[in-house]
Amino acid sequence: MSSHMMSSRGLPEFELLIPQTSPEAMDMLAQHRERLSVLSGGTALWNYVRGRNRVTPYVLSLSALKGLNYINEIPGEGLRIGAKATVAQLIENPAVSAKYAALHESGYWFGNPTVRNMATVMGNVLRASPSADCSCALLALGCQVILQSKSGQRAVDIDDFWLSYDVTARKPDELAVEIRVPEPKATTRSAFQRLTRVRQDLAKLNVAVRLEMDRGVCQQARIAIGCVGPTTMRAEKTEALLQGKAINDGLLEQAAASVRGEISPIDDQRSTAVYRQQVAGVIVKRTIARAAAAKGASQ
Amino acid sequence: MKTKLIKLCVNGRDYSVEVPHNRTLLQALRDDLKLTDTKYGCGSGECGGCTVLINGKDNINSCLTLAAEMEGKHITTVGGLTKNGQLHPIQQAFVELGAIQCGFCTPGMVMKTASLLAHNPNPSEDEIRRGLEGNICRCTGYENIIRAVQKASQMINASATQCAGGTCS
Repeated sequence: MSSHMMSSRGLPEFELLIPQTSPEAMDMLAQHRERLSVLSGGTALWNYVRGRNRVTPYVLSLSALKGLNYINEIPGEGLRIGAKATVAQLIENPAVSAKYAALHESGYWFGNPTVRNMATVMGNVLRASPSADCSCALLALGCQVILQSKSGQRAVDIDDFWLSYDVTARKPDELAVEIRVPEPKATTRSAFQRLTRVRQDLAKLNVAVRLEMDRGVCQQARIAIGCVGPTTMRAEKTEALLQGKAINDGLLEQAAASVRGEISPIDDQRSTAVYRQQVAGVIVKRTIARAAAAKGASQ
Repeated sequence: MKTKLIKLCVNGRDYSVEVPHNRTLLQALRDDLKLTDTKYGCGSGECGGCTVLINGKDNINSCLTLAAEMEGKHITTVGGLTKNGQLHPIQQAFVELGAIQCGFCTPGMVMKTASLLAHNPNPSEDEIRRGLEGNICRCTGYENIIRAVQKASQMINASATQCAGGTCS
């Protein structure tokens, strides 16, 4: 019957599963595998589904699962972000703003307040989009994604998590339950910056940097850059260039030139390859400079 | 299409409604409960027309939320702010300061303001601008909306002060 006058755009048909416990969720994942999508905040999933007008036959909602919306700081280990923790929770968390600057900044600039209330940090990682802001910061800081299935639990390093655009190392029967970010040292500094046309746009370019600084000298660097390839990527040659050197204007210019040689951006509706190639150097330079000048985390 | 019977509370009133699994909260409000004050704009979380409050103060996009996940939840729409025919201070301020032109964005804008002021009763102009991001108005140019939020903040705080002083019922 089509008597119902719909006043807004709907979603294609699927069967919604709402497990009450994690074991029940694992059973459903094991049973339906690729025929199932996992739903938490919905901001990524429903845009993805509406964009393609296609959805898996089953959607598994995490809404009834208890105890997954935490952000905990464990002294000596680091940050534990539960699968249902939102971006709004991330930026309100005092430990994140004090010690994980790049991650805090990525959440601060993420989407808009309503989307931040709904979107989860884990969802941002699972979406495997190269424009994802929290994902960019997490790649620079380094982290592990904890995946759980009926047969047990495993940890996948973020460097091995995104296989290509929209493809992750999560197996179809696994539930991503937690992100673990290592605790920063007294020498650790980090920063994040992105470029958009208006504030709530997806990034046309984003950069996150983590530096180990000792009296103005960079002992080690991790540089993550998004929107310049199929996944958010590390600029490893530029990281190597910084190692063991004092951060000064000359080195920053070399870093800008280096990163331009490491990326292969494309034209799309948000920017052009030529612009991204040019501006990536500038943003990387500024983000390194800002991280180097930042205060260390108070332990 | 499978359906689910849910119980939820909208604007202080309890409803039982049987919804198809793919029904959004916005569709349930507008098409099932006939509460058409909440608007559909973009369907992607960018325009804010469908903004409602969940459990009293957190704003969400009802177009990106499944109705079937709303079991036991309390939802507030702009219609729920008006009590006994009296406009809420936010609504009154929007009217007085010309923060409404065509009016399509207004229900979402008012609910976003309600959420902002619930979390931050005295926002600075910068905090108002950041707090209203995600709600698009194509008429006003936002200036009168900013002024209205400032006025609403003053009105609410003044009435709270009066209450604290025992001058209101």
